[in-house]
Formats: sequence, C-alpha cells, structure tokens
Amino acid sequence: MKARRAVLLAAVVVVAVALQTTLFVRLRPFDAAPALVVLVVMAYARYLPAEYALLTGFGAGLLQDLLSETPLGLWALVMTTVAFSVLRFRDRFEDDFGLIGPFVLVVSIGGLALFSVLGTIFGEKTLADAGILKKLALPAVYNVILAPLILPLIPLTLGISRRRDTAFTI
Amino acid sequence: MWRPSNVDRPTGIFIGLIVISLVLITIDLRAEGAGLGSTLRDGTQSVFTPVQRAFTAATRPVADFFESLSDLFSLREENRQLRDRLAEAERQVQESESIRIRVHELELLLDIDPPEDVDTITARVLAIGVSEFDHLRVIDKGSNDGVGLDMPVVDEGGLIGRVVAVTDTVARVILITDPTFVVAVRVERTGETGVLRGRGSGPMSLEMFNTDAAVVVRDLLVTADGRFPAGIAVARVREAARSEVGFALRTTADPASAITRIDFVKVLVFTRDDAVVAGFEGGDRLPISVPTDPSAPAEGETEDAPTTTTTTTTTIPGSSTTATSGGIEP
Repeated sequence: MKARRAVLLAAVVVVAVALQTTLFVRLRPFDAAPALVVLVVMAYARYLPAEYALLTGFGAGLLQDLLSETPLGLWALVMTTVAFSVLRFRDRFEDDFGLIGPFVLVVSIGGLALFSVLGTIFGEKTLADAGILKKLALPAVYNVILAPLILPLIPLTLGISRRRDTAFTI
Repeated sequence: MWRPSNVDRPTGIFIGLIVISLVLITIDLRAEGAGLGSTLRDGTQSVFTPVQRAFTAATRPVADFFESLSDLFSLREENRQLRDRLAEAERQVQESESIRIRVHELELLLDIDPPEDVDTITARVLAIGVSEFDHLRVIDKGSNDGVGLDMPVVDEGGLIGRVVAVTDTVARVILITDPTFVVAVRVERTGETGVLRGRGSGPMSLEMFNTDAAVVVRDLLVTADGRFPAGIAVARVREAARSEVGFALRTTADPASAITRIDFVKVLVFTRDDAVVAGFEGGDRLPISVPTDPSAPAEGETEDAPTTTTTTTTTIPGSSTTATSGGIEP
C-alpha cells in the first residue's frame, strides 16, 4: 500500500512537470504560465507527514533541475523550502480557510524570488532579466487562480481528504 | 545556547536536504556542464521525452483552440498586412533575382567560389523550460537526425538560439534572449560591429564599439562571430543609440524572430570556427576576430555536416542568397 501511494505521488509530480513543459508552450496569457509544480508541492505539503512532504518537494525540484540548464540542486533547494514553509503554516489553514489564497501568492512569489536570487548567486543572471517582476508576479497570480482546483484535487490522488489522514501510515 | 536537541525532526530533515542541495549545486558548478550532472540530465531528458511527446500530442489541440480564439480578432488586420508584405516580398524577389545574376557574373569574372548553402534540419518545439526563468526550448530532433552541439537554430524571422544539449531524439536550444547569451553582431546598414546580449523577457542589450557611427531605429543586426554563419538576422534596433562617455554606444534591440511564439524551427548544420570562438566561451568577452563579410562562409562550414533524410538546403534568414529547395513544413 505504501509503495503504491509513493508511486502514485511520483506519477502526479511527473504529470505536473510534463504539463508545465508542454501545455504552456503556446498557451501563455500575458507571456507567462503558472508555476504548476510549486502548486503541486504545496498541495501535498498541506496533507502529507513532514518527512514525505519535504522529500516530495526535494524530488520534484530535482526533476525540474534535471530538465533544465540551471545548476543541479537549485530547484531542489527551492522546492524543499516551499514544502517546509507550508509545513510550518498548514495548521493555520485549518482555522482560517481564507488565508490559503494569500498564502499561495506569497509562497509562490517567495519560491520564485528565492530561485532568482540563488540563480544569480550561482551565475545564472536571473535577476538581470528585464521582466523579473512580471516573472515573479504573474505565475503566482495564476497559481492563486488554479489553487481552488489543484489544492483539493491533488491529495485525492492519494485517497486523503483531510490532513489527519496520513496516507503513508495507513 | 543552541543544541541539536532543540531542532525538531522536520527541521532536521529540511536542513539535511538543503545541505544535499548545496552539495549538488557545488559539484555541478565545478563540473562546468560536464560530468555526472550532464549525464543525469541527458538520461532524464531521454526518459522524459516519450512523456513530453504524449502530453504535447494531447495538449496541442487545447493550445491551438485558445490561440485561435486570441487570433480571431486580429485576423482581418493581419490578412491586410500579409497581403502588403507579400506584394513587397514579390518585388524584392524580382530585385534579388537580377542581383543574383549580376553577382554570379561577377564571381565568374573574378574567379571567386560562391558561398555554399547550409544544410538545415526542420524540427518542431516539443517542450519549454520548467519555469519562466528558463529561456530554452526542447526540439523534437536529436543526434539521430544530425543535430549537434552548438548548432545555430533559426526560424523564418532569424536566429532564435543555439543547441546546448543533445540526446538521440531531442535537443535543447538556449534562446538568444537568455541573460547568459552573447553574440557579436554587425549592423547591416553600416557594417559596424557590436555585441548583443540577452536580457530575459525584455529587449536585448546592444553595445556598439564605434561611438561615432549612429544606430537608428529598425536597423537590422546580423550575426558576425565564428559560432554562427555570418549574416543571419538576429534583432532590430529598438531605439537610437546614445553615447556613454565615449566608450561605447548602448541601446536596445528586439529579436527579429517572434521568440514567444516559436513552433517550427530549423537547425543549421554548421560547424563552428573553434579558433575564433576560443576567446568567446565564458560569456562576456568578444571573439578574437570578427568576420565582417556577410557573404563569406566561415571556415570549415558544412565540411563535416552529417546528412540525413530530414535535411534540406535553404537560405539563411537575413542573408541575400536564394533558397535551393525545401522550407518549413506546415
């Protein structure tokens, strides 16, 4: 059961990365696309036990690293941080559901900003991009729009509907 | 005082994963694009390619539908503009034909070997980068089709980038708008040379060496370094240049191609001139020598070009030679 759910989780991450790199080739309103994988990592981190949530973030980031020309480990670091941020604040969502939207916005912008700062430190010149603000803001806004669909749907793939349903200990 | 026992388990795992990430980054940076990281990237891309092909096939109709909707309102105006451009193009073709005949006569008279056409491989964009910060495209042709590292990639507008990684079936192309992309260019109108740098999603940055030669709006910039065939259209000047303390003219330029809407592309089967490029790798430096003759082929051009059934011979965008056959398939 545990292995089957781990495979399912990995499959969903692969599908998210595949959609990120293919669906938005030409479907780019205002020349930007959602940061879909960031949203999927956030969705899992809301429900999974901490260890699995962090490993999911790390794995999803590593897959992104392997499919890009950025230094290997850069996205892994950013996604792990995104997962950790959600872990630290997820109890608040149980109390106030209205916080989720602003939180998705802040974490998406924060994750992308962290990537651009670290990318620049490691020689990628990401901050030299003339449209840096647009590249931070628009994907985050799209993430907020997609959040009502992705956040409840993704955990259902593992058969969990509430955070206390710990998928990996059933 | 800090003690390890103060760190809870999730935080400990988080710190551990961050350290692993930093170690990976360090190892990958030290390998300078080679080594284990490169092998893992190529392997992952190979494994992931069938997934991307399946998703591209499934999502293309969706993208086509939304693109059609967005294009619907501009079709009438676009049709009118295209008719005007067609009339202009037909006039230019007639002029080019007479010029071509004159050039051929002069070449015979002066006993000059005409430049060879460059073989091309037509490909289609399969995927984009994983984020908005990746200025790259994955194309559906790889080493099995004759695509090699550092080959220039063009579309009907001009240069769009160069190949930075190749697997058997796909290749990754870094776009000219990437902030790490630098290319030596020549202003077609004046022959003056300069350096064009990518700036991500904004206009490219142009730096000219001669502060006295003016650069005007819409000036065409063509390639002028050993990595690409000379004379490929790269960008058009966006605003007139201004002098900065006599060192250089700096201005901006828009890519000649519609970078955000690339679909079909051509890979030029071009062997770069390593001697010229030697001083260029690493980013910001200029090539040691800059060829200024747009019609002259670079040294070694097409000598080792692999030939496959998918190659065609065509005109380089922006150059004045005439196509011999082939074209981008619809």
